[in-house]
Amino acid sequence: MPQLVTLRWRRPGGRRHTVHIPVLPVLVVLSPLLLLAVLAGLVACRIFGISPGGALRGAGRLLWALPGTQVEFHDGSTAMTVAVN
Amino acid sequence: MNEQRRQILQMLTEGKITADEAERLIDALDTDQPEPRALDAPRSGSRPKYLRVVVEAGQGTEADGDGPTRINVRVPLQLLRAGVRLASLLPPQAITKANAELSKAGVPIDLAQLKPADVEELVDQLDELTIDVDDPDSKVQVFCE
Repeated sequence: MPQLVTLRWRRPGGRRHTVHIPVLPVLVVLSPLLLLAVLAGLVACRIFGISPGGALRGAGRLLWALPGTQVEFHDGSTAMTVAVN
Repeated sequence: MNEQRRQILQMLTEGKITADEAERLIDALDTDQPEPRALDAPRSGSRPKYLRVVVEAGQGTEADGDGPTRINVRVPLQLLRAGVRLASLLPPQAITKANAELSKAGVPIDLAQLKPADVEELVDQLDELTIDVDDPDSKVQVFCE
């Protein structure tokens, strides 16, 4: 499961900014909203005829496979990086 | 000589099969048996874990704020596998609509025929994928690491 999401960005002629987002504490803080999101997902699964168990398993696998993902974009003096660890 | 080959030769000597049939059977045995060296060679090192896409374009300079553009994306192969499994949950009506849109766009692919096992095998084979596109103004590289 992802532990830390790192965002880095730099604007033209500006300073570099780095933000580290610890995933677990953020999930705990947002847990009431997540519960609502899961319920909404289950309702959507029922409406569209998708197996809720399969969808949950699939979403879990996707989440667990995220660590190691990295996206970097540099354009001249502008840069942005998103890294999931 | 393995047992199956011996049995084929035995049937040939007993006259149960012709020489042509024996040859075909032996050829079939050869193609069925994996060639250990050929298969083991690429797996000798550690298996690649990531698919990387690198795009470099433009020749500007950093000083004028119009430097080259560089995109570097690293995706775990495990994430591709998880995505493929998630795609298999699509309801039939969504697949029908997607097929219709693909046909309209000139890509007549039936997504219902795309089995998760087949797609997973495809992802497995990405291990050895390398694509290099060199252009005077840009460069694209897709590879596994």
